[in-house]
Amino acid sequence: MSRSVLGVAIATALTVTLTGCGSGGSESATDDALEIWIRQAPDSDSHKTAQKLADGFTKASGIKTKVVALLDDFETKLQQQAAQKDLPDIVINDTAQIGNMQTQGWLREVDKASLAGSDKVSETAWKAATASDGKTWGAPFSSQAFAIIARKDWREKLGLEVPKTWDDLAALAKAFTEKDPDGNGKADSAGLLIPASTKRGYASWYASSFIYANGGDFVTSSGTGTFGATMNDTKTVEAVQWLQDQFCDAKTVNPGAVNNDTAVTHEVFENNQGGLYLTGPYVLARFAGSIGTDKIEVFPVPKGPSGGPGTLGEGENVYLMAGSQNEDGQKKFAEYAISAEGQRIGMNKDANGAIVRLPVNTEVDLAAERQDPRWQVFQDAYANAVYAPPVPNWAPIRQSSADALNAVWADCGKDVKTEMEAANTKLTQELQNQKAS
Amino acid sequence: MTPTLTRAKSRSAASHQSPRMARWRGPLVAWAFLAPALVLFLYFKFIPMITGLVMSFQEIRYIDTTWVGFDNYAAILSDDAFLTAIWHSAVLAIGTTVGSLLLGFCFALLIEGPAKYLWFIRTAAFLPVVTTMAAVAEVWRIMYYPGDTGLLNTILGWVALGPQPFLASEDTSLLSIMGMSIWRGTPYDMMVFLAGLVGIDRTLYEASAVDGASVWRRLRHITLPALRPVFWILFTLAAIRGLRVFVEVYVLTNGGPNGSSEVLMTLIYKLGFQSGELGIASAGGIVLFAATLVLTVGVQLMRRRQAA
Amino acid sequence: MKFDSALGLEMRRGPLAVLFKIVIYAGMVLIFAGPLFGLLVSAFNKTLDPTSFSFWPDEFTLDNFVQAGNRNVYLYLFNSFVVVGFGLLLQVLVSVFAAYSLARKKFKGMSLVMLIMLATMMLPEEIIAIPLSLVLADMPLLNVNLIGTYAGMILPVGAWGFSILVMTEFMKEVPVELEESARLDGAGELRTFFTIILPLCRPALGVIGVFGFTMIWDQYLLPLIVAPESDMWTLPIALRSLRGDEEVGLGVLLAATLLALLPSIIAFLAFQKQFMRGLTSGAVKG
Repeated sequence: MSRSVLGVAIATALTVTLTGCGSGGSESATDDALEIWIRQAPDSDSHKTAQKLADGFTKASGIKTKVVALLDDFETKLQQQAAQKDLPDIVINDTAQIGNMQTQGWLREVDKASLAGSDKVSETAWKAATASDGKTWGAPFSSQAFAIIARKDWREKLGLEVPKTWDDLAALAKAFTEKDPDGNGKADSAGLLIPASTKRGYASWYASSFIYANGGDFVTSSGTGTFGATMNDTKTVEAVQWLQDQFCDAKTVNPGAVNNDTAVTHEVFENNQGGLYLTGPYVLARFAGSIGTDKIEVFPVPKGPSGGPGTLGEGENVYLMAGSQNEDGQKKFAEYAISAEGQRIGMNKDANGAIVRLPVNTEVDLAAERQDPRWQVFQDAYANAVYAPPVPNWAPIRQSSADALNAVWADCGKDVKTEMEAANTKLTQELQNQKAS
Repeated sequence: MTPTLTRAKSRSAASHQSPRMARWRGPLVAWAFLAPALVLFLYFKFIPMITGLVMSFQEIRYIDTTWVGFDNYAAILSDDAFLTAIWHSAVLAIGTTVGSLLLGFCFALLIEGPAKYLWFIRTAAFLPVVTTMAAVAEVWRIMYYPGDTGLLNTILGWVALGPQPFLASEDTSLLSIMGMSIWRGTPYDMMVFLAGLVGIDRTLYEASAVDGASVWRRLRHITLPALRPVFWILFTLAAIRGLRVFVEVYVLTNGGPNGSSEVLMTLIYKLGFQSGELGIASAGGIVLFAATLVLTVGVQLMRRRQAA
Repeated sequence: MKFDSALGLEMRRGPLAVLFKIVIYAGMVLIFAGPLFGLLVSAFNKTLDPTSFSFWPDEFTLDNFVQAGNRNVYLYLFNSFVVVGFGLLLQVLVSVFAAYSLARKKFKGMSLVMLIMLATMMLPEEIIAIPLSLVLADMPLLNVNLIGTYAGMILPVGAWGFSILVMTEFMKEVPVELEESARLDGAGELRTFFTIILPLCRPALGVIGVFGFTMIWDQYLLPLIVAPESDMWTLPIALRSLRGDEEVGLGVLLAATLLALLPSIIAFLAFQKQFMRGLTSGAVKG
């Protein structure tokens, strides 16, 4: 008997040893390096730019760094680190994440006055680093405004003008859809390309530029820390209705749009399947390369019939995370990131991988850094940019508005006004849950 | 159960040790063989599960996590989205299970036999099962493209059917996901049935053929009864898996359009990782776990009763 | 009269039956293997249509695979192999041990153990991910940190309820007489197990080998929480990241998808011979 038990014991020990052999991984010892997380794909051009930025910082300050790039799993990993009480020192992430991260207690407040160079940063950008409590919870790093990247060759071939109104835009979209602008004899090109999936709230993300361009909004501030839902506002409804008409009546939107995220929509644009793509400037270099730089142009979102001008403003902040052992290093990095030098490295000239889309530092001259004049269109659009309001948690609001928008575009039988009323009730509910109503 | 008993008896008779030693020797060896599995389960399943259970009673914040009692459960159970997700999960689980079982059984009958070329067909047909879900879903997402140029719509075009929206419409998104799951589940069920068919005593067929029994009768009286355990295994596994589908939905629709394909796991995942409500997400997970457990135990009991 | 198939359909011959069979078989191969073939072709295709697969390459290219290399996909492939190699070895050993106990022994608490096995299969991984990361970072009683080690990805997949249950069901079928005679010859517990039981379970080993491989290869959240940085990623994580990566196109994603599919297919083909041989010589069970 003892022999068999011994045998089992040996076998178990053997298994443990065997697996032990497999564990030679890159055990990252807890060193004094400043850990910087950025929401970009690993080994992407953007990751490389972030690494350059960190290297520049090390050179300037003598503080060692470690850059971690993560994309879709960013939030998951961050949750894990928080559970282990071991957050990174610095997180470079969306401005819209500010409420979410702040409510979870992950952020350190930034003392704007004591941050060197903070006076050089534009006021709009600082606003996007301010949470609903009116306090500053991050340092602005990058900003961007949305504009329409369009097929210039198609437009010129059809002899049409750059659209100035929504009617012009609708007409151009219709022509792109029906007049075979690529001349291949097939009706396979669409006017508007829309990433209208509900994933991460893309539908809402896209629609916001049109809503803002018409003077509407999802949620508006009604005092310090309180907000009211305005999805049933006539200007908002008008913008959503216009987009539904494009989906359902004019049928100028690419098929499958309600299911596409941006990654797919980029491909569709590059594959000559549509001509008007409202998006951020970060893909300009990619499209210029893949489609041909003289085939594309950029123009601002036309002003809506009832308001505007306006377009979605976004950006990234440098967040100083709670529980860091190196608060001084965090502050120094934030100062470096907003400095002209840090901003220039992040802009990465005209190449791919610009982690600073539009500089937040007013001393940096865009035209001197980037040769492509189309960047200027985005810069000009930024003057009218509207950021998501600093509610405690923007993600559920974007998600729930995206669900409603996606629904009225996917199902043409749905009445926009009714659905937006329902969505407004949901948003009000959500704001109440967040104690921000 | 009876064979086990006789085994145990004959064993103790065979060993030349004192009866008392033999009495505890058997269980000791049994537990020793089980030990590696149980230790691994304890560390990587049960301790995390208990932690998850604790989390489900808390509001998780970085600095001060607070005990909120059953608030999270109240929040999740009163959430319409959660109830809808339960329904979607159930529909998806049942549809996928029944579809895969039926098709798998038919295919198993069709390609059963010792012929060499059948190996090739089995191998080819079995490929979907061994492929990575994330990769397969990517492939199907492209095949389901809702325009006329989409692969499946092209095929529908050949048989004079108009293009379908598949994943893009609230009415068909869940069905489309089900289609892919059946595609992936059928060959597995087929293979298990094949293994079960091999185990059937062929002399029974010869006897029944002598009696002049029809194919249908052979199926009903020999094949199906012999495969009953196989059915149970497959059914239990499918029920367990069905309620937990995640990757399929996440990659294909992420719950859209307008939540029409939101299942439990995608909802819980979003709550936990995107909205940062780990406590509520844990509560949802515990509810799901409890439901699956009750369901499975129910199936097991039914199985016992049938066997008895 | 000889019965080859379960329903005796083999008896029917003639042109119509043959035609019927060809159609059925071709249809099956097309339905189940066709999409994967489309992926294979598209991954090597230069001009990609994001809305459809090409079943014939317009322009053959290895570009997608070169670009995938720039995104470190081959390192992720290597990591996947390390994890699946050791993980499967451990999983199979643990499963056969546990199954032996469950199928051949009688002891108090057996139903409870069976229930535990089933319960482990019902745990939603997405829920235990965060708690699991806490356990891995500081193993209770052992005080070992497995985050950032391959062991952290391997040990948690070491025990899999499904494998154990499949193995148990198979082991119940092995005739008791062989075991008894071995025991009468004075063979010990482990020797009986390795020389008598295990060889007879070869078909089942094929089954749990193939499924175990796929299960470990498919792991997504576990390697994600164990890997501190992308250099320890496995392929499924990379797939997800590439999907959202706006700098690379669909081609790279498809190339990586193909790389993620091929090994499990190859593993299946390798185990399959044994699996099939076991099946056809399944008379032992009759």
